[in-house]
Amino acid sequence: MLLDSPARPTSSELGAPPVRKGWRRFFARTKGLFGVSGGVSLIVGYLSIIVLIPIAAVVAHGFSLTIHTHGCGVAFWRWSVNAGFHTFWAAITAPSAISAIRLSLWLSFAVAAINAVMGVAIAWVLVRDDFPARWFLEAFIDLPFALPTIVVGVVLIFLYGPQSPVKVNLFETWMGLMVALLFVTLPFSVRAVQPVLASLDGEAEAAAKSLGAGGVRTFFSVVLSSLWPAVLGGFGLAFARAIGEFGSISLIGGGIGRTTTASSYIYNLTQGFLWTNAAAVSTALLMLSLVILVASNVLSRRIQQRLTA
Amino acid sequence: MSISLSHLTKRYASVAVVDDVTVEIPEGSLTAILGPSGSGKSTLLKMIAGLEMPDEGRVVIEGDDVTDVDPRFRDIGFCFQHYAPFRHMNVAKNIGFGLRVRKQPKAVIAAKVSELVELVKLDNKALSYPSQLSGGERQRMALARALAIEPRVLLLDEPFGALDAIVRTELRHWVKELHRQIKVTTILVTHDQDEAMEVADQLLIMHSGTIEQAGNPSELYDAPATDFVHGFLGPTTVFKGVVVRPHDLEIVSPSSGVMEGVVTSIMELGFEVQVTLTLSDGSMPWVQMSRNEFRSLGVAPGAPIAVRERVAL
Repeated sequence: MLLDSPARPTSSELGAPPVRKGWRRFFARTKGLFGVSGGVSLIVGYLSIIVLIPIAAVVAHGFSLTIHTHGCGVAFWRWSVNAGFHTFWAAITAPSAISAIRLSLWLSFAVAAINAVMGVAIAWVLVRDDFPARWFLEAFIDLPFALPTIVVGVVLIFLYGPQSPVKVNLFETWMGLMVALLFVTLPFSVRAVQPVLASLDGEAEAAAKSLGAGGVRTFFSVVLSSLWPAVLGGFGLAFARAIGEFGSISLIGGGIGRTTTASSYIYNLTQGFLWTNAAAVSTALLMLSLVILVASNVLSRRIQQRLTA
Repeated sequence: MSISLSHLTKRYASVAVVDDVTVEIPEGSLTAILGPSGSGKSTLLKMIAGLEMPDEGRVVIEGDDVTDVDPRFRDIGFCFQHYAPFRHMNVAKNIGFGLRVRKQPKAVIAAKVSELVELVKLDNKALSYPSQLSGGERQRMALARALAIEPRVLLLDEPFGALDAIVRTELRHWVKELHRQIKVTTILVTHDQDEAMEVADQLLIMHSGTIEQAGNPSELYDAPATDFVHGFLGPTTVFKGVVVRPHDLEIVSPSSGVMEGVVTSIMELGFEVQVTLTLSDGSMPWVQMSRNEFRSLGVAPGAPIAVRERVAL
């Protein structure tokens, strides 16, 4: 035929294909060290060293579990769970602890909610509007990521402290805390939404318009529904960050009295060498953050599942 | 209803993607805008819908100049290549969207939606979400959604482009049948000439921003105004220095022929057979014939033959 291709070499001409040997064969057959893929064992190992072990240590300390080591670093654990739980409960139900955790919770919730709204608005401007200094705004959004949070604290105490040049004194008020938290959590909210917004092709919006929907209607009934998973993801991150924030609020909040957040409270406990109490409140905070993160993740995934196949 | 476009022009960075297009689209017709990608056909469609603003020219629908009317007040049904479903709404909600925007009473919306899901044969999927539908079903949903507002004009942008071959053929027939039933002026954009010839009763051939020729499919096929239209609407080959359709050539025995040569290659494509020839003047035209014709001719590569233009009956 005209288009006859040149004869392709057969496998016998090429010789036997290369065969896996040694550790390559071992990994291919065992799917890694622990019967799971190499990637998963790497992640689990890394997370254990970086995240899980320190957290476990704090939790253990919070419950007054003591760790005794004998010789060559071999660990023997002595459990005293019953007594430990009482200490833990007493530490986190102390009135000052409860009020600190409550303040942190509602502040973080409010901040995450406000920034969820503002994050969508800012992401919208960054993605949809073309203006001269956009690159500058893009970089500016990430500033809270890069800035040491104590610098934010210093800036706020100058601007809204007792010697405020604009005559707005937010020292030792929840408003001051909120301003600080809004600043440090903003990039989480914006950056979670921005890529999703950029990936929308605009066809659904055009369809809504041709069906007679105005701009506001189109945004709320078509655009926002696609953004929900991202908004929720950003909400979870901002909330967790706000709960744990310390540097930026330690100055403007004053750190004592009714503007003591959970993180400041923990710091104050460590200053008084109440290590077990500090670990207990830390554990409570840790669990709250975890619950919020997991909840927002699950909700976000559930919505995402409905949107895609 | 009738649409007339006059001197419509759209430029992107000084390049005219649609260049001074003036055309009249008759009321109740099913018109296909046919052209290769980048010919400006989609942009033309979007300007009719108001989704793109023309730089020059007017769009007149049913005597109303809508050039400066917001798309949402144009009463136009628009379907996108990728269906543009509202993914968080089920089929019924999608279809009813335009009516809800128009603040129709709930009973009216429900009645209209149930009528439409039946029309597009999605009555058993009314509560499904777009992610649970096949491509063809999504496009039918998008059509029903566009039809719900009883548009003056229905615009379809590459409506079958993202579907597989079998579903595409099915949906083509279905759209043609739908148009026969509801008679709304419809414009369809496509780059597939088979699709355009099959579905449409009017064709607009677009090429680099301008309309090359307009007319009904057989008119354009038989009397193409330009070489571009000739080449775009069907197969062509060159015989005696003239562009002709390969099925307008005929292989005959060498003694009765006009120009002599030999058979170079034969390609059998089921019903159709394509025979490539090398003629005495060195040209290599190909001839398209049916399988039966090919068998009765009984030629093989290397066989001496003669070729002439078929005499029109």
